[in-house]
Amino acid sequence: MEQPWSWATRPPHTWRWALAVLVLLCAACGHETGTGLERVRRAGVLRWGGDAQGGEPYVMEDPEQVGGVRGFEVELADALARELGVRAAFVQNDWSNLIPSLDRGSFDVALNGLEVTPARAGRVLFTRPYYVFQQRLMARLGDARITDLASLRGKRVGTLANSQAWDLLLRVGAQALPYEGVQEPYIDLEEGRLDAVLLDDIIAERYGQTRPRLRVVGDVGEGHYAIAVRPGEEDLRAALDAALTRLARSGELRAIFQRWHVDDDAEQRMVDWTEADTKALLADTSTAHLGWGQAVLFLQAAGVTLLVSVLAMAVAIPLGVLLALARLYGNGVVSRASTLYVELLRGTPVLLQLYVLYYGLAGVLRLDALSASVVGLGLNYAAYEAEVYRAGVQAVPRGQLEAALSLGMPLRLALRRVVMPQAFRVALPGVTNDFIALLKDSSLVSVISVVELTKRMTITAVDVRSWLVPGALCAALYLAMSYPLARLARRLEARLERG
Amino acid sequence: MIDVKELRKRYDGQAVLDGVSATFARGEVVALVGPSGGGKSTFLRCLNGLESFDAGSVRVGGDTLGPGCGRSQGAVLGRIRQRVGFVFQQWHLFAHRTALGNVIEAPVFVRGLGVREATERGRALLARVGLSHRESAYPAALSGGEQQRVAIARALAMDPEVLLLDEPTSALDPERVGELVDLLAGLRAEGLTMVAVTHEMRFARELASRVLVLHGGRVIEEGVPDEVLTRPNHARTRAFLGLDRSARG
Repeated sequence: MEQPWSWATRPPHTWRWALAVLVLLCAACGHETGTGLERVRRAGVLRWGGDAQGGEPYVMEDPEQVGGVRGFEVELADALARELGVRAAFVQNDWSNLIPSLDRGSFDVALNGLEVTPARAGRVLFTRPYYVFQQRLMARLGDARITDLASLRGKRVGTLANSQAWDLLLRVGAQALPYEGVQEPYIDLEEGRLDAVLLDDIIAERYGQTRPRLRVVGDVGEGHYAIAVRPGEEDLRAALDAALTRLARSGELRAIFQRWHVDDDAEQRMVDWTEADTKALLADTSTAHLGWGQAVLFLQAAGVTLLVSVLAMAVAIPLGVLLALARLYGNGVVSRASTLYVELLRGTPVLLQLYVLYYGLAGVLRLDALSASVVGLGLNYAAYEAEVYRAGVQAVPRGQLEAALSLGMPLRLALRRVVMPQAFRVALPGVTNDFIALLKDSSLVSVISVVELTKRMTITAVDVRSWLVPGALCAALYLAMSYPLARLARRLEARLERG
Repeated sequence: MIDVKELRKRYDGQAVLDGVSATFARGEVVALVGPSGGGKSTFLRCLNGLESFDAGSVRVGGDTLGPGCGRSQGAVLGRIRQRVGFVFQQWHLFAHRTALGNVIEAPVFVRGLGVREATERGRALLARVGLSHRESAYPAALSGGEQQRVAIARALAMDPEVLLLDEPTSALDPERVGELVDLLAGLRAEGLTMVAVTHEMRFARELASRVLVLHGGRVIEEGVPDEVLTRPNHARTRAFLGLDRSARG
């Protein structure tokens, strides 16, 4: 077995020069047809894209080698490179963006549990498959309602977006929820936030079947992993096809699978695989088209974005006011606690906060995804609102408070009737600004499986194989929400100014 | 009415009030005079608890304010402030309320008066200070003199027994000072107790029944205006009033 590439086995300087020149050339001339294989051979490197976060057993970081990776796909890439007479080099890339990154030339091939779907088959060149997997349905132990695919109608089912499983779920009328990680759907299933999870058997075995409170319902379909090559590089695909077939026939492919415990009887089909099988598998390149149905989905997603933003702001504003007042007028402990809150929530990523709230605290605090989104964004934005209001309160001359106190108003009444209304005027532009920022930040809640506008856009873009129209639609909807808001705020400001 | 005992306050190591004692009787009008930095304004602000002090006490009716301004004094402060009105040098009208809104704010929200009744009384007070026609104007649209009269009406709306005025003439055109004196003379005739910090000797002479001279955080002289302002005993007072050339330099 060949050693995976590492800095310890880095090429001599001449190679690196050649590589650099080649990269420049490629950048200059863009995609050339039929030169894929040539380019790889000349560089002596097959750069393959994958996401080490996908984890065991596909590709994961090698604990014994800093910067190195291991996994059955790492061994497969090494074997393929050897067949081509080159070396394999892993390029880390976010899994959901593997295809766009392949398109723009970040690596030669994408090889990371990429399932052959009609939408993808229409966008990239797929090699013959290297692995057959089962679509494994899992549910909670005590939940007898889930018996087969048909029983999923109306149920909440987690899976990966833009997968065959996703299409399958939509076809049977299930409520499909998109996940990006492999652990999260099973956590949510255990917590009762999902009724079932439909994922590849490799994933189910490692991340789902290890959980004692879950059970396997059954396998409801199968899919194939294949390697994605840039359109136009037919020669590279042909070379990879031939190499895969050689590896399968020689028994090396299944040997790799066995080493990583992903081998099963079905993989014999990879050994017996023919070109006709490939043709049949890749025949379907049907693409979804943007129609009224998609437009309705976009509007729904925009509704989710607006709902999450408005409710989160409704949490953030009162809490922000309280925090600002606590900081300015509270006693030592209260004031310091408020400062700590602001610095903590403002100084850490909201993405992390959402993860902690939704998954980290799942044992103590069982929030559904939408509530967690509202609470998470609300708590985070409260920190920003606190600062906006603090600035607002400090902009109100001290004499205003003294005048109110001198009339016998208690501090709270004076703040409520005299200081805060004036502070609000000062704070209004900042609050508007934050609200518009929140509208866009709300796209972060897609990490906890809420389909809002941006997520809807990415799902549709992959389905219809174009980012242009979904992107424009998405931008238009965001603008349609934020612009009227900005206008409204300006009008309110003008009215307060006159007042 | 107000009884002040041995008030002391230090600020940045400097004694601002260095043991001031004074008594203000009902219906009295007292002018606080003295050189700048003599502690006049600080003393005035202590009288309704806008300023805390380190030692001594301020008694208003049956309520006594002690050193510091802890939460425990909140109720006392509230009662005292309702009996002791304050007119600021810069008036500090509520910028987001109309003239009438400024006047009715405290009666409605502190006293719990109905809006209709408060409005009726507020209008009467604005009429009294000659500003009926300006009731719906916002502070930014009012002249300095008008703002001051609204501030006086706002303080009077709480029916105070004492009115404290900080430098009431300092931001007024000279011709407006006469109007202010007339207005305050009317209040004096109704028996309102007033304590005013002033630099305007004519104002002190025409309105005050007594003058206190503060210097270096102490009362160095007091008496009826004619006495103190024309034949002061203390060299500092003479210097301040410009009566004694030798003490000036």
